[in-house]
Amino acid sequence: MTMAGSSHAPVLEANALRLRFGAVEVLKDVSISVAPGAIHAIIGPNGAGKSSLLNCLSGFYRPQAGSVTFDGRDITGLRPHLRAAAGIARTFQGIQTYPSMTARENILTGFHNRMRTGMFDALVYWGRTRAEEEAFAAEAEAIIEFLELEELRHAVVGDLSYGLRKRVDLGRAIALNPKILIMDEPMAGMNPEEKGDLARFILDIRDAKKIPVVLVEHDMEVVMDISDTVTVIDFGEVIAVGAPAEVRANEAVIAAYLGAG
Amino acid sequence: MIPTGIYFDTYAGEASLLKTARARVWTALLVLGLIAAPFASGAYLLGVATQMFIILIAVYGLHVTVGMAGQINIAQSAFVGIGALTTARFGEYGLPFWAAIPLAALVTGAVSVVFALPAARVKGFYLALTTLAAQALFPIVILGLPETWLGGLVGIPVEPLTVGGYVLSTPKQLYYFTLCLVLVATYAAFNLHRSRFGRALKAVRDNDVAAEVMGINVLSYKIQAFFVGSLFAGVAGACMAWVLQFVTVESFTLFASVWYLGMLIVGGIYSPIGAILGVLFITVVQEGLHEFGAAILNSGTHEAGGTIFAATNVALGACILLALIFEPRGLAHRWRVLKTVFQLWPFPHR
Repeated sequence: MTMAGSSHAPVLEANALRLRFGAVEVLKDVSISVAPGAIHAIIGPNGAGKSSLLNCLSGFYRPQAGSVTFDGRDITGLRPHLRAAAGIARTFQGIQTYPSMTARENILTGFHNRMRTGMFDALVYWGRTRAEEEAFAAEAEAIIEFLELEELRHAVVGDLSYGLRKRVDLGRAIALNPKILIMDEPMAGMNPEEKGDLARFILDIRDAKKIPVVLVEHDMEVVMDISDTVTVIDFGEVIAVGAPAEVRANEAVIAAYLGAG
Repeated sequence: MIPTGIYFDTYAGEASLLKTARARVWTALLVLGLIAAPFASGAYLLGVATQMFIILIAVYGLHVTVGMAGQINIAQSAFVGIGALTTARFGEYGLPFWAAIPLAALVTGAVSVVFALPAARVKGFYLALTTLAAQALFPIVILGLPETWLGGLVGIPVEPLTVGGYVLSTPKQLYYFTLCLVLVATYAAFNLHRSRFGRALKAVRDNDVAAEVMGINVLSYKIQAFFVGSLFAGVAGACMAWVLQFVTVESFTLFASVWYLGMLIVGGIYSPIGAILGVLFITVVQEGLHEFGAAILNSGTHEAGGTIFAATNVALGACILLALIFEPRGLAHRWRVLKTVFQLWPFPHR
C-alpha cells in the first residue's frame, strides 16, 4: 500500500517529547510524524509508553520537553477541549461513551464545537435552537448511516454491547469533523467479526472522509493489514519507523517483542 | 417509548415534548384542571398548592445542577433566599414584576457563580462540603451586614405584587401567578434536555474525561450548571417574597435545602418529571399527615400535641424510606414503567 499524499507536510507532529512521572521516564525523546491521509499505527510492548504518547497528543499530559505541532501550529500547551475544537478527535481504550444518553445523543455531543446555541437558547428552545437541532440531527443521521447504527439510534448506550458502544464512540469522534482521528486500542476486547467491521470503518474514514488516523493497537494482524506507517516504541524510545513489512523484518523490533537474543 | 403506529417525518416532530395526541390531551386536561382548581378548593389548599409550585421551581433548578450535570448542591435554599432578598430590596424602588423576576434570577445566578468557581474544581464529597459552606455562610453574611442593606435579623417587608396596575394579594390571585411561572419553568426545564447545552451537562455528568476530549469545556459547564440551577432558584425566591410578603433569613435554612434535595431524589434526579413527582409526593404526604394529626388531636385523645407532631414526622420519614426502598431510581422511573405497561397492554412484549 502506498502512502496517500505523502508529499505534503505532516498533519500532526510530535518532536522530541520527554515525559516523566517522578523517577520514571515514560517518554525519552519520542518523535512521530503523521502524514495526511495515512493510517499511522503505534505499537510496542506493554508499558512502552504508547498511551502516554497519545495522552500527550490529545493534551492530557503535558510533556516536560518537546513540542506537538498540529496543522502547522504549536499546540503543546493547549487544553484538551481546545485541541478538539482545533480538529483532533479521539476514541478511547475501553468504554468511554455517555451511558445515559441514546446513540444519537452521543453522536450529537460530538458536534459541540460546531454548534452555537447556549444556555439561554436552550431554555427558550423555540427558534434558533430548534433550527440548529434539526440541522445537526440530519448530520447525525448521516454518521448513523455510515456506521450502520440505524436500528439503535434511540437505544440508550449504557444498554448496548461492548462492540456497539465502541462504534458509538467512533461516531462521536467522527462528529467532530476532525482533521485527524486518534484511536487508543480500538480492537481490544472485540470478537473477530467486530474487528473486521471496525477495520473496514477505519479504512473508510481514511478513504471516504480523508481523515488520517493514529492508532495504538495490540492486534498485529490488524496493524499489519491496515496501516500505512508503523512506529514501534520500546521503553519510551522509538526503535523503528516504516511500512508494515519493513518494521516486521526489523531486528530491533523482533528483539523488543521476543526478548533480545 | 412511544406507541406503535406513531412516526415522525421531521426531526422537530421527533423532538417535540408531547409526541402523541393522547399526551397532548392529557397535558391540556391537567392544565385546565389546575386553572379550575381554585373554584373547588379553599384558601388553605390554594396556599399549599402555591407553596408547592414555588418549591417545584426551585427543585427544577436542583434537577439541572444535580441531576443533569451531576454536581451536588446543598445550598439551593440559600439561593432561593438570595432571589427573595433581591426581590424585596428592589421592590422598594417600584420595580415592575416582569423586571424583578429576571433580576432576581440573574443576581442569584451571579452569586452562585462565586461559589461555583471553587466548587467546579472539586468533586463528590468535597463539592458537597463546598456548597454546604455556601448555605452556612448565607445567614452569617446577611446577619453581619448592616440591617439597612439586607434586613439583618429583622427582615425586609415586600411591596405587594402588582401586575398591570392590579395588586395581587388574595390566595387565588397568587395561585394563578405562580401557576403561570411554574408552567414556564416546566417548559424551560424540559427544553434543556433537547439542546446542545443540556447534552453538554449530561456529558459532564456521565464522563467528564471523555467530555473534555470531545471539546466540552468541563470547568465552564460545571459553573454554568450552577448558574442555570440558580436562575430557577432566583425565580422561586421572587415568588416566595411576594407570597410571604416578608423576607427573613430564617426562611432559607439548610433544612429546606436538604428537603429540596430529598424531593428530587424521591422523584428521580434525571428528569423534570422526577422533580414534579417528588415535590407532589412529599407535599401530599406531609399535608396528609398534618391533617391526620390534627384530626386525632381534635378527636379528644389523651395524647399530647407534641407526641402527635413527632409521630407525623416519623411517618413522613417512613414514607420517604419506603419510596426509596421500592423505587431507588425515583418515582419517575415507576412512572415510565407504568406508562410502558399501559401502552403495551394487553401484550406483555413489544
